[in-house]
Formats: sequence, C-alpha cells, structure tokens
Amino acid sequence: MTIRICHFPRLVTALVFAGLLVGTLVVGSAQAFERAGEKFILVFGGRQPVPLLDPSQKYDWSTRMMQQAMYDALVKYENDPPVIKPWLAESWDVSDDAKVWTFHLAKNAKFHNGDPVNAEAVRFSFERTLKINKGPAWMLSDFLKPEGVKVVDEHTVRFELSEPFAPFLSFLPWWYVMNPAQVMAHQEGDDMGQKWMTDNEAGSGPFKIKRWEQGVLYELEAVPDYWKGWPQKKPLAGVIYKLIREAASQKAALQKGEADIVEGLSPEDFDIVAKLPGIKVENHAGMTTFGIKFNVSQPPMDDINLRKAVAHAFDYEAFLKIYNGNAKLQTSPFPFATQGHIDVPNFPRRDMAKAKAYLAKSKYPNGGIELEYVYVQGLEEERKMGLVLIDNLKPLNIGIKMVPLTWPNMKARGSKMETSPNMLAIFATPVATDPDAVAFQYHKDSWGKYYGTHYYSNEEVWGLIEKARKSSSWDERAPIYAEIQKKITDDQPEIFGMLANRRWAMRDYVKGFKFSPVRFTGEVDLYSLEIGK
Amino acid sequence: MALFVIKRVALLGLMLIGLILIMFTISHVAPGDPAGVAAGPDATAEMIEVIRKEYGLDKPLPMQFWIYLGDVFQGDLGRSIRTTHDVTDDLLRYFPATFELVGVAMLIAIFFGVPLGMLAAVFRDKGADHAIRFVSVSSVALPMFWLGLLLQLFVSLKLGWLPLGGQIGLMTERPEPITHLLLVDSLLRGQFETFREAFAHVILPAIALSAPALAAIIRVNRAEMIEVLHQDFIVTARAHGISSFRIVAIYALRNAMIPTLAMIGLRFGWMLGGTVLVEGVFDWPGVGLYAVQSAVNSDFQPVMGATLLIGFSFMLANFAIDIAYGWLDPRLREAG
Repeated sequence: MTIRICHFPRLVTALVFAGLLVGTLVVGSAQAFERAGEKFILVFGGRQPVPLLDPSQKYDWSTRMMQQAMYDALVKYENDPPVIKPWLAESWDVSDDAKVWTFHLAKNAKFHNGDPVNAEAVRFSFERTLKINKGPAWMLSDFLKPEGVKVVDEHTVRFELSEPFAPFLSFLPWWYVMNPAQVMAHQEGDDMGQKWMTDNEAGSGPFKIKRWEQGVLYELEAVPDYWKGWPQKKPLAGVIYKLIREAASQKAALQKGEADIVEGLSPEDFDIVAKLPGIKVENHAGMTTFGIKFNVSQPPMDDINLRKAVAHAFDYEAFLKIYNGNAKLQTSPFPFATQGHIDVPNFPRRDMAKAKAYLAKSKYPNGGIELEYVYVQGLEEERKMGLVLIDNLKPLNIGIKMVPLTWPNMKARGSKMETSPNMLAIFATPVATDPDAVAFQYHKDSWGKYYGTHYYSNEEVWGLIEKARKSSSWDERAPIYAEIQKKITDDQPEIFGMLANRRWAMRDYVKGFKFSPVRFTGEVDLYSLEIGK
Repeated sequence: MALFVIKRVALLGLMLIGLILIMFTISHVAPGDPAGVAAGPDATAEMIEVIRKEYGLDKPLPMQFWIYLGDVFQGDLGRSIRTTHDVTDDLLRYFPATFELVGVAMLIAIFFGVPLGMLAAVFRDKGADHAIRFVSVSSVALPMFWLGLLLQLFVSLKLGWLPLGGQIGLMTERPEPITHLLLVDSLLRGQFETFREAFAHVILPAIALSAPALAAIIRVNRAEMIEVLHQDFIVTARAHGISSFRIVAIYALRNAMIPTLAMIGLRFGWMLGGTVLVEGVFDWPGVGLYAVQSAVNSDFQPVMGATLLIGFSFMLANFAIDIAYGWLDPRLREAG
C-alpha cells in the first residue's frame, strides 16, 4: 500500500523551521579574550587537571604551575640556562661541609591575607611538608629533619642538615612557603590542614585563587600590590587555566582565540599552527631525557655486549625525524642544562659493524631472541620508536615485542626487578639543575622508581655519586660528575636517547614568556606574562 | 502485586551487592598501584606507605571490601586518592551535567528521529526513504568523538556559530543551584542570558551524542510504521475518509511508538554510560570524563562510584520496567 500525503512537506518545513529558530536563539559572536576592566585575563588551555593544590602534598607540571603562581619559595629558578635567584630569601650562607645553610629573608614579603612572611612561616612550611611526607618531601627527607629547621630571628632561618648535602639549594625552589595561621586554622583532626589546602591556598605569590571548579577551570586573580612587584608595565588581571582535554580541541580553541596559550599538541600540530596567522610557537630545549631503559638485572639484558649491540644498532636520527627536527640527541646521560654536563667521548651512535661485533661477543652471537619493549599506551612518539627498534634490530636477528601499557601499569611492572621489562620507554625530568638530581637516578636507591627500572648496578659509580653530593665545592664536584657520566655511558644501562623540545602555541599578543628548562613539560611561569594589545 | 514488588526489591538489593563485588574485584586485582601513582614518580617507599595507610589500602582485601560495602550503604563512596575529594560530592557535581547532556541529546534524537522514521515508512523505497537511510546509517557509522570534532571544526571554528566546548562561558557566573541542572536552574532563576549561553554550549555535544540513538529511533520507527500501515484498521480509517496525515501521524504513529518508546528507555541508559567520548571532546564536566580521568590514574574509588551510579540507574530503569510489565501482565506477577 502506498499513501500519498500532501501534508508531509509541512512536517519537513516545521523541522527546518525549528532548527533555524534554535540557531538564531543561540548563535553569538565569539569573544577574543577575556577582560577585567582595563586589564586582560589570560586563558591557558591545558590537558592536565590540578587535582591537589597543596604544595606539601603534590607536584606535577600543572599543579606546580598553579603553586608557583600562588606561592613563593626561598629561591626561584629563572632563565635558560636556569639560575637560582633570591626570592623570599635575599641572601644565604653555607658552611664548608654543606651541612648548615642560613637564609636571610626579605623584610617586605607578605601573605595574601596581609600576614608577614617570616622565619617562623618558613620553618612551619618545611616542617609541614616533612611531617606529611608526601609530594616534594623525598627531595630533602634523608638530610633534613623537622627539628633541623631553626628560627634564628624574625628574618633569619637556619637549616641544619643531618648529613652534608651540596644540592640542597637546588631543590628549594619547589618548597613553597605557606601561612601557618591560615593552614592551622583549617586543621581537621591532625591533618595539618591537608583537606583545606586541596582547593585553597595560603601563599604570598603574585596570584591568588578566584575560582576553583575542579575538572573544569581554575581562575587566578593577580595580587596588584605583590610584595616583589611586577616585571611588566601592565600585569594581567588574572589567569584562567581551562581544561581542554583533546589536542584537536586545544588547537581549535587557540585558533578561535578561546585560549591564549595551549600545550601538549602533537609535533605535527605544532608545526601546523605555527604557520597560522596570529599564532606563534615557543620552541625550547628542555631537560627531559628520553631513554629506552634496559633491565640489566635479568637475562638477556644483563649481558653488556648485547646491550651495546642494541645501542649501536639503533638509528638515533629517527628521534629527530619523529619530532620533526625539534629534538636534540643526548651526548651524555645528563641533560645539557644540568650543571657539569660534558659531551662524553665515543657516545653511542648507529654503527652496524660495531653492533654486530658486540653481538658476536655476547651470549647470543646469532641473535634469535625476542625483547619486550614496553611503552605508554596512546603515546604515538613512543610507539614509533618501537617500530624503529623492530626495523633496526632485524639485521641482528633480534625480535621486538611491543607492549603498550597505561602509565600506572607500566610503573607497576617496572617497580620490581623480576617484572621490569627488557626495555622500557621512559621520559625522565630531573627536578633540579644540580647534577645529583640526574646522577642519583643511577644509584641503588633509585631502583624501582620509574627512572630506576634499569636496576643498574655499579658500586664504583654509586660511591662517586655519594661522594660528590657531600662537598660544597663545585671545583671538587665537577670532575667527579664528569667521571660518573663516562662510567654510566660505558655500562650502557639504556639507549641514551634525546631531549625533545618543549613547545607552547600561543596567540601573538601574549608577551613576556620566559622559558626555563628546569620547569616541567608544559609548565609556564605565569608571573611574567602579559597581553600586549 | 505487593509480594511481586518485594521480591523485585530484594533482587535489586542482591544485584547491587553483586555489582559492587564485581567492580571491587576488578579494580583491586587490576595491575597498577594507586598509592604509588598518587604519591608521585619520585616518592620513596615510605611515602607510598603513608598514602596506602591513609586510604586503608594496607588492609587485607576482604576487609577492604567489607568496609567499602558498609560505607556505600551509608552513602559514602570513599575518597579519591588523586584529588582527596569525597567521591559522593564529586558525583553530585558531575552527574547533573551528564544527565542534562543526555537529556538534550535524547530530545534531539526523538524530535528528529520519530518524524524521519515516519517519513521513511510513508515514502518507502522512494528518494526520501533513501535519503533518510543515508542519514541514519551515517549517524550510527560515524564514531561519536569524530563527529564531535567535525562539528567543532565546522560549526564552531569555521562558521563561528557555537562555542567549542565547556558547559558555559568562561566568565559567566553559574546560577545558584536549585536542581543542579544548569539549563533548568538558569530558567528558574530568570537568568535568560545564562540560559541562552548554556543552551548554545549543549547543542554540539548533544548532537554528537544523539547520533546513534537518532539512527536507532529512525530505523525502529520506520519498521514499526511499515507494519502498522499494513494493518486492517488503517484501511478502515481510510475507508472512513480520514485524512492521510491524520491516519499516519496520529493513529499509526501511536501504535508504532510502543516498541520505539521501549527502545528510547534503553538508549537513555546506554547514553548515560557512553557520554565519555563526547565529554572528552567538548570538555563537558560530566561523570564519564570524571570516571575515565580517574581510571587512567588508577584512582579506583571514583571509578567504582561512577560505575555504581550508572549501574544503579540501569537497575532502577529495569526495575521500573519489571514493575510496569508485572502491572500489565498478571501472568508475570504469578511467576514471580
């Protein structure tokens, strides 16, 4: 049966009409950037949330970016190469044995509620972080006990370490100072204000919290009379860190002007947006090294000749191709910006003749083995590196089994000597510019941590690492670190890879961007930014 | 009937415990160390232990389960190890956004799906039918997140008609909550500009989310309509000289809508569980995104909380259907 109905066009018209009505109701013009009166608010489109603001409990790039904006530390990293600048501390002295450190505080520093930042606040903050024993506590907990922090007078604080520790100063930029009165006013049970500090701040930094909508956005408001002053003529009125989780959406938001800065695009996308009008890309060499860690504690990778064979078969130029040239090959286990970095002589590069010679000396002269390569699921660059491995090791008759895992699962596998895979793709960012921060990744005490999944063992190197951290004289330390770099290279606990550039795409009216490689990937110092329109 | 309802309620309770048990087991035998992840990459073993103790992860598994079960029945879904927030509070904040998105998506699917299905049936094997089939097949074939990205690029970036993502403009104040549904609250508070803005934000994600449901509604409605249009009462109605439009849009549709409605109910549940992809593309602050963000960080309490919420919604829907069937069909009641 067929029905002919002349009324049906009416229905179609009604549908179309309804659509148009909805359209006219909602279509609005897109705003370029946000304003607060005469001043601008900068919008940062980031992929990673800030789950926990408390400086005593957590740090990662997005968290620390917010902490750095709202808190001050005794000293601050700035510039490229990074230098440690006086901040809450105007000056400091250190004893010859690197055990006693005395800091003289700025007298005009004040918290957002008007309370002075004094020696007691510094003491309290260090004690709090050490007692809570989360977040940055590991950096100093082996050397500093809560009772070792002493108030000398209102503006002088002294740290008496339990052991000499030369890198002490280089960790202090990440130990933020909190207002004891505010924190303890919100104590629940004996939590030292942990619950309250999750979404609230008690700092003295250039910005304070305005809105904190977890999982959506975090808005900061500039402190107009920031005690340290502002470096730019027209400081921002504030910053909105908006969560944009898809790279495609980040790119679109930047193009539309809904975000002023974005991070985390793919290498290809960065190249594409760099060519668009009104957009510029900041492109800088960071401190994050990429290496393929061997598990040297288990066969077959306990065989140094096999490790060297693999390292010499690997095509290092592939790294540069994967990052479209925006990367730099390592010339030492240490990143370039690390103090005391040397170009290690005969650093492994692709050389098939050498690779074959090493393989012949190994327990597997004819190959015939399969190695597991574990990488982060969804991380395209790491997957490509696995493909390069497959291709490069074929001539040695070595197979590669590629295993993508989520980061927590990967970390869990690497945390035990027995389960850590033959090869693990690892990006490692040292938290400080002091060479100890990298050298210690090869110490026994780093075993099981994500950068210690190699289970590297060399007592001589461990001894050197321990010796170097105990001297306050750089002239004494420098040659030791040169030696450490050579010895680690020689033991080949990993394929020493490259340092990918850190990149941010931003609207061209964003001014005052100051890069420092010691910050984490994605992390920006919001203090110096301005909108120059 | 009362006995039937009591039995069903008891069954609901058992299913809930079963769900919790399965969820709990899966999340606790999965590899990955939540405390280790929360403690950060550099944490010492001692620091990880601090967190493990704080969240009771150092206790034996059966005891953890027992504690969790007790807490759940008191409305406490635990604390996120990553944000330290109470999961119950988080879900109360995120669920309304998901519910609103799914609601609007469902409205779109019904508003366009039912008439299009009807048109396809009436113009069976004609050009209109083919065109509608093209729409429905594409809607079900396009992955939701991809459709979302396309909509963003075209409607938002190229045409500049609608915002790219989020639930509301960056600088817009949210209305004081009444129902926690942004669209409803902004209307109730008389903030029409906020409503307009919130509505503009919901359209693209809702379209992307509605696509599979739209396709299903079109196809089911078309099939049902074709069947109904062949029945005797339609012929009788035509013999009585009733207008064709009236026959199709009123009499036939009413009969064809019963299976369609049942399917809409099911789809609603599926959508609640499947919003995550769309929420990711449009940064919609909903439950799906919350659950996935938590899962990739091995933060299991929120994952379990969200699963429980969505699972419980499903169970409630099924429970309602069971009761309705029991009410409609006395044989089911007797069978228990």
